[in-house]
Amino acid sequence: MGAAVTRSGPDADGAQRALLRTKVEAAASTYHEVEGWEQVAAHAASLGDRVAVAPSLHARLPALAETLEEQGCTVVVPGVDDPAADVADVPVAIVAGVMAVAETGSVLVAEHELRDRVVTMLCQRLLQVVAVEDIVDRLEDAAGWLAQRGGQAAFASLMTGPSRTADIERSLTIGVQGPDEVDVLVLTGAVVATEESTS
Amino acid sequence: MSEIRSFEERYSTALADPDVRSGLTAFQRGWRESRDAAIADLEAQEGRSFDELRAELAAIKDGVRADWEHHLDTFTANATAAGAEVVRVATPGEANALITERMQAAGADLMVKGKSMVSEEIGLNSHLEAAGITPVETDLGEWILQLAAETPSHLVMPAIHKRKEVIAALFERVLERPFPPDDIDRMVKVARTELRERFLASSVGLSGANALIAEGGSIMLVCNEGNNRMSVALPKLHVVTAGIEKLLPTYADAMKQVRLLGRSATGQPITVYTNFLSGPRPGQEQLIILLDNGRTAMAEDPDVAAALRCIRCGACADVCPPYGVVGGHAFGHVYTGAIGLVNTSFHHGIEAAAGPQSLCVSCGACATVCPVEIPLPVQILEVRETVARAGEAGTAGRVTRAALRAFQHPTLVDLGMRAVGVVTTPLRRDGVTALPSALTERGPLADRVGWRTPPAVPPRPARDTLRPGRLEEPPRLAEQPLAGRKVQLFLQCVSDRMAPDIPIAAAKLLRAAGAQVTVPRDQHCCGLPAYDSGEQDTARSMVRQTMDTLADGADVVTPASSCLAMLGHDAPYLLRDDLDEVERAQELAGRTYDLISYLTSGPGRLPAGSLDDGDRTPVTVHRFCQASNTLGRTDAIEAFLRDVAGVPVVPLPEASECCGFGGSTSVRNPELSAGILDRKLDCVDQTASSVLITDNPGCILHLRGGMHASGREVEVLHLAEYLVRRLPGVTSTPQER
Repeated sequence: MGAAVTRSGPDADGAQRALLRTKVEAAASTYHEVEGWEQVAAHAASLGDRVAVAPSLHARLPALAETLEEQGCTVVVPGVDDPAADVADVPVAIVAGVMAVAETGSVLVAEHELRDRVVTMLCQRLLQVVAVEDIVDRLEDAAGWLAQRGGQAAFASLMTGPSRTADIERSLTIGVQGPDEVDVLVLTGAVVATEESTS
Repeated sequence: MSEIRSFEERYSTALADPDVRSGLTAFQRGWRESRDAAIADLEAQEGRSFDELRAELAAIKDGVRADWEHHLDTFTANATAAGAEVVRVATPGEANALITERMQAAGADLMVKGKSMVSEEIGLNSHLEAAGITPVETDLGEWILQLAAETPSHLVMPAIHKRKEVIAALFERVLERPFPPDDIDRMVKVARTELRERFLASSVGLSGANALIAEGGSIMLVCNEGNNRMSVALPKLHVVTAGIEKLLPTYADAMKQVRLLGRSATGQPITVYTNFLSGPRPGQEQLIILLDNGRTAMAEDPDVAAALRCIRCGACADVCPPYGVVGGHAFGHVYTGAIGLVNTSFHHGIEAAAGPQSLCVSCGACATVCPVEIPLPVQILEVRETVARAGEAGTAGRVTRAALRAFQHPTLVDLGMRAVGVVTTPLRRDGVTALPSALTERGPLADRVGWRTPPAVPPRPARDTLRPGRLEEPPRLAEQPLAGRKVQLFLQCVSDRMAPDIPIAAAKLLRAAGAQVTVPRDQHCCGLPAYDSGEQDTARSMVRQTMDTLADGADVVTPASSCLAMLGHDAPYLLRDDLDEVERAQELAGRTYDLISYLTSGPGRLPAGSLDDGDRTPVTVHRFCQASNTLGRTDAIEAFLRDVAGVPVVPLPEASECCGFGGSTSVRNPELSAGILDRKLDCVDQTASSVLITDNPGCILHLRGGMHASGREVEVLHLAEYLVRRLPGVTSTPQER
């Protein structure tokens, strides 16, 4: 972590998580608190037998794929050649968030490479995993993280709920080009290997 | 993609389609509810008012313009460092040529497009099609319009003018299978399937930019559907088209925009995806085209520069009464809503702006919701003046101009109106001029006069009755807050000639409260009708004449809130080139009141219950739109009626929305005005009140005419007319009917 980024303090009293939960649910996602990655894998396995794992997450945490396989899942990690085809019909996908913003219930996901991006674009149900110490209060906290990466080629998205449209008569329809369902999973156990908090 | 048709054609098509009006009314009402709730939540969250938050974002955008080249250079340097190619172009032609050239060089014949208003501005689709390239819109609304060969009618809800039945029929025709109109979910799912193939097949993707963040050379791109994420990620070439006004210095600034953008656009705290792109992904090229197309000229014009703050949320359309009747195809050009009435003249020329700008009723609603505080009503009047000066307003414009110039001469107006009063005597009844049904129901004039019965023109104006010694002494109130105070009554030209009961009632009321009321003899017109018609020179001359007339330092009270909007608000702006005159206008503004403000917050504050005559018949109140939107008045009349007159007030839905009078608009575009009036009368019906009270004579004559023509029995009264009946010992005796 660069020193320039100010993070809000740890969520000792649970207020930050409570706000995050409210906002996540307001955005039509579901909110879960889980101890560790094993529980993430169990949750994914309960939703489908084919699970995509974002390549950047897989590179950091190869054990996740093993756990998923132990739970009886086929794991898909999109390759370089035709990543869209690899994940096109996978029902469940897992991606790690850089941080979650309590103000809006958003998860900031950094995914520069195409094979990472297709996971969040094309799957039907997306599990966004974020460590409890990476919950921040405000959008400005996300701005701070974006600013300290200035100058590098990068792509990051604040994702808030499943994709939707109201283009026909302002009638809300969930699930357009992106996922129909989003689960936000907060890891409450100690020491979590997400890219940004360990580098 | 279809070319934009003539304004006249777009206007008449919109009026002829009943779906447009009913659909947009429902949309505007739904938007209002969501947006207001979202903004209230934001105010609570931030502990700051909407006005403070939008002033902050406006200041950031203005700051960028103050040092535009620097921020452009910073953006360019950072985006280039991240691997993008940044090209600045002056004209749509250059942008189109560059994109076509790159696509042809890459051998690409298909482009997937995310929503980009700049691509609409430059007419990219037609240009690509002419070069044998197929553009595919991937935003659902834009895709629907592409299938229908139409252009967007709203900045963020491009197909909001279309009902689901029409869209289902369109899908049936194009996709050749049945679509039940009530199954919107299915239409969305089919669009997803159809478009996904295109995403995977295309080697070029295009997006706009919601912000260009100088700090990291980043594009901020927001969307709900997820289509934008695909069109920027999957293809090998990502083209960005953006206006140079989209610059923001930092990511933190962008977050301030995010907080206001989603809430103002759709009532969402944040869109589903808020993407930040710095450079291309590995294996991809990114071409960022920054377009000027009149933006530098806008920045150099102090009257309209603030329009460059626009973040394209569409809120100005969502509260606009004329937009609610005809939609964005008529109310706008490529850019729709109030902002489109301003920026069109810079991006597409004054001819393109001439027709749409004539539809604005100057109600001021747009300025109240704009998240970057653009003074849109004032800017639209600047465009209107340019149109008038350029002679682009056509025959109607020439007639208006001639009429307003004649109206400058008090003697001419006096003689003319007295003559009309005499001639129309046989037709005058109950405050209207009852035209023969041969005129209102059939024939070429039916559309112009059938929907609103014209007001009566009495042979004697109010000023005759109000000459010293002529008006009988009214009964006095027990408490007289104005005892011994001199008040100059400014009659308002319309009431003086066409509704003399209004200023007469105001005079009686003020005298009952103890005032010595004088009626300065040379008073004529404050200049508002000329200002609203784009005739600013005429307006200036009339406001100067009014300032001369009212130079005596006593309080000025007018029964017409519209004159207060002019004298208290617009006049200093209109006279801004002469500081002495600004000072004079400000001095007058400081002692000018409309009746309600004089009797509530001004020197004439009446004690509770002082006009309570025991009558408890419920009334409802229409709030004059400019009083609400420009002068910031909320429930003053309702509170006064309850507290001082003891009357139950039934809240009027959409009380502050324009009634459709809109000065010259109702004369020039009667069909539009009639549509707005219908919505207002429907709201009055919902209250089941038999009395409608308001305080602007223009609205009153318009509403009375509408009630009469539609056979409604609701009595429309000026506040003064209503109150004067409640003075002790008074029985209602209308002066001139």
